[in-house]
Amino acid sequence: MTKYEATIGIEVHVEVKTKSKIFSSSENGYGKDANSSCTVVDLGYPGTLPTLNEEVILQGIRAVHLTHCTLTRKMHFDRKNYFYPDNPKNYQITQNRTPIGQNGYLEIETSEGPKKIEILEMHLEEDTCKSSHKGRVSLLDFNRAGVPLIEIVSKPCMHTKEEAMLYLEKLKETFFYGNISDCKMEEGSMRCDVNVSIAPKESKTLGVKCEIKNIGSIRNVGIAIEKEIARQEEVLEQGQVLKEQTRRFDDQLNDTVLMRVKETGNDYRYFPEPDIPFVFLEEEQIQEALATLPMMPDERRILYQKKGMSKLHIEKILANRSLSDYLNTFLDTNINFVTAANLLLGDISSYLNKNFKKLEQTKLTREKFIDLLQKLEEGALSNKNVKEILEDVLEKEISIPEIMKEKKIQNITDVSFVEEIIQKVLDENTQSVLDYKEGKDRALKYLMGQVMKETKGAVNPKIANEKLVEYLQKR
Amino acid sequence: MSKYLDLTIPEIHELYVKKELTPSILLEEVFERIKARKSLNCLITCCQEEALERARELEKEEVGGLLWGIPILIKDNIVTKGIRTTCASKMLENFIPIYDAFVVEKIKKAGMILVGKTNMDEFAMGSTSETSYFGPPKNPWNEAYITGGSSGGNASAIAARIVPLSIGSDTGGSIRQPASYTGIVGMKPTYGRVSRYGLIAFASSLDQIGPMTRTVYENALLLNAIAGKDQNDLTSSSKEVEDYTALIGKDVRDLKIGIPSYLVSDVVSKEVSEVFNHVVNLLKKNGNTVELVDISYLKHAVSLYQIIAMGEASSNLARFDGVRYGYRTENPETIDALYEKTRSEGFGEEVKSRIMVGSSLLSGKNAKLYYDKALSIRDDMRESFLASFQKYDLLIAPTTTTPAYQLGEVMKDPLKTFMDDILVIPANMAGLPAMNLPAGFNQNHLPIGMQIIGAPFGEAKMYQLASFLEKELNLDLEGGRK
Repeated sequence: MTKYEATIGIEVHVEVKTKSKIFSSSENGYGKDANSSCTVVDLGYPGTLPTLNEEVILQGIRAVHLTHCTLTRKMHFDRKNYFYPDNPKNYQITQNRTPIGQNGYLEIETSEGPKKIEILEMHLEEDTCKSSHKGRVSLLDFNRAGVPLIEIVSKPCMHTKEEAMLYLEKLKETFFYGNISDCKMEEGSMRCDVNVSIAPKESKTLGVKCEIKNIGSIRNVGIAIEKEIARQEEVLEQGQVLKEQTRRFDDQLNDTVLMRVKETGNDYRYFPEPDIPFVFLEEEQIQEALATLPMMPDERRILYQKKGMSKLHIEKILANRSLSDYLNTFLDTNINFVTAANLLLGDISSYLNKNFKKLEQTKLTREKFIDLLQKLEEGALSNKNVKEILEDVLEKEISIPEIMKEKKIQNITDVSFVEEIIQKVLDENTQSVLDYKEGKDRALKYLMGQVMKETKGAVNPKIANEKLVEYLQKR
Repeated sequence: MSKYLDLTIPEIHELYVKKELTPSILLEEVFERIKARKSLNCLITCCQEEALERARELEKEEVGGLLWGIPILIKDNIVTKGIRTTCASKMLENFIPIYDAFVVEKIKKAGMILVGKTNMDEFAMGSTSETSYFGPPKNPWNEAYITGGSSGGNASAIAARIVPLSIGSDTGGSIRQPASYTGIVGMKPTYGRVSRYGLIAFASSLDQIGPMTRTVYENALLLNAIAGKDQNDLTSSSKEVEDYTALIGKDVRDLKIGIPSYLVSDVVSKEVSEVFNHVVNLLKKNGNTVELVDISYLKHAVSLYQIIAMGEASSNLARFDGVRYGYRTENPETIDALYEKTRSEGFGEEVKSRIMVGSSLLSGKNAKLYYDKALSIRDDMRESFLASFQKYDLLIAPTTTTPAYQLGEVMKDPLKTFMDDILVIPANMAGLPAMNLPAGFNQNHLPIGMQIIGAPFGEAKMYQLASFLEKELNLDLEGGRK
């Protein structure tokens, strides 16, 4: 390890899911034809005034709650003044003095145990329009202008790329499960700027920070931090002085690239937005916002753990929200969650992926799923059977027994039938029986294979195994 | 030539109802007068064709309310769909808006006919209308004199009786001061009474749209038509709109009237004081109480105003950058050059200097030092005003310190214009309704006005007092008509 310690702070912008934009009535949608979703307000037309979308306020209240921030009940908006072609009014309406939330945290699970990542503040603001550059021409798409954003500013309290990545995963998961944002980094609905500085380990002051913008994935955040720490170390080791910089992450180079050296502190000439009166959050409004919050991942983790699911399965289920939501609809039943998770993550997921389907597009009713699990548990259906009938289960509007009948799947839990087959197999393989008696384990496996072959795999392996051992000992 | 245009609005209306007059015929008179008084330079854009088209449309309908078929002018900082809106600036010389301001929708709905856009100070910044890119409008009483500003074109046109009605805007006296210099009635309503949607912002927390008209009654009629809540303006009030003509003609007696003492101090010239004192005596003679009242911080109103107005203006005018609309410099090499050249070439000197001062006032620590402090003192001033309304029904004061002065005089002394606004600025700072009413003349027969300041949403009561004085003073205000 080196003699330096890195300090990392992250600013995250998420696009808030709402029907319309934050300060105008135009639709808040992604992937529409350029400039098809904007009004004179979004264009910063002379004479226009902002309105305020209450939906955004409600989302803000939820975000504040989920990140354990303190809610600012009397707040206003501010103007941040700067000239840029993607900034239609040349000021952005944001919150500078009264951010909707302050002093919160998210808890992450690091390899060295849990850690609270502190959040300095979060505020509501409008997005700029999207610019793209083609040769000497720059094109502006105002569909994005006025899309509501929540900016979450962490304290400079992270020291490794692991912490940074875990924090972002946690934030993403929280906002996604809270229905606040899609948090799709590839579509730009979650964007992050990372501030990195390094200082000698014993140092009491922070080093010179560099900001890295435009990082397109959490994985790249990790790479960017790693490269940036290495770069800064090299500069210091060469006895040079670090300058405050803004860098960007370059996907092709897989490294950070200098954008500009900061000359002086930016002067945004903030002042309270005179076109929007103060906003007072009433208790009723706060309760309304929180009432619709779905169950959050941490609560799901605890529940699933109680249901006996493995950590790996829990995380896999949580990574696929529709599966988790589906699973949660069985919380009031006594189904075996372990079996259910197995089925959902295994055969059902691969069927859905292969066929580009969503769970809710199938014919898998609640009753059918419960029945399927029960039959698996009892041994009435083997895993192999499930694979065979899965397509029918998901696509046909008929019950599990009906499907089994159609597929001619016998109830091979019938012990006498299994016994018959075992007798037959043992009679035909006397050498293997002898090998088993001499303690050769391989023989048991071979015999078991023969039993499965005879029954075309339709027998409950657990029962078959028990019976096989029993009969071997009798011989 | 028949003089329908000089009839009162109810008289015109009656002729419309009786089918003895049509909007087209009335418009002919309007355009004749516009032509005859071209030297006044009161209009930036005259929309003759659109107006005649509108008149023909209206003639196919039934005659509507009192304001149906009445020609109106609108200040050129209020956007009109399809009709260029310049803010008297090179920056917007060829700007044709794609939407109507709230008040424009309102006047159209009431059947009024827009005949033109009035001259003004560039982006409403100035007190004489001389900062207009299109040259200053002239005072109809004497064309060597200023109209005042920034709604100078409105004042000039109404005083010359070109149309009966007009809509102006008032950030720091821009309706009342020119109304005073030209002998017309101008009302700046309570902040929030009229939607600002479509008013090209100068200082958002002070700007207010209001009527400028020949008479008190017609002023109230127009306010009736344009007041009200607008979903597109969060600062517009949802307080119910009353009939502002309701108290007009009612006797005025036993009113308690206050005069903010600073507004009649030695800042006011002798000729204005004489006219004002005459009004005070008239009121007392009619059984009203008139007393001096102290309002806090009035002495600092101008400095506070400058901080707030210029700070907000520097931000409001940032959008004029040559990217999306308006003037754009030719062949800029870089994006920074586009901004710099477009704004250097597109804005006039007064606008540029205010943007620079405003930017500096909001810069770094200055925002807290100046802007925040100004806002807080403004709150105190408002409180002091509100307290005075516990005791008084209305406040009165002179509108200007002197009558109109000669064109060109003020450009030599920029501070003078600001100091002249000392009497009108307090109402904007406190968000209170305030109006100008013609009160007399000086020796050169130039009009002198007075102000009535009301409690928030007290417009109806103000009109009551104004109409009483209008009747009692019985001034001949036709001197601007030739």
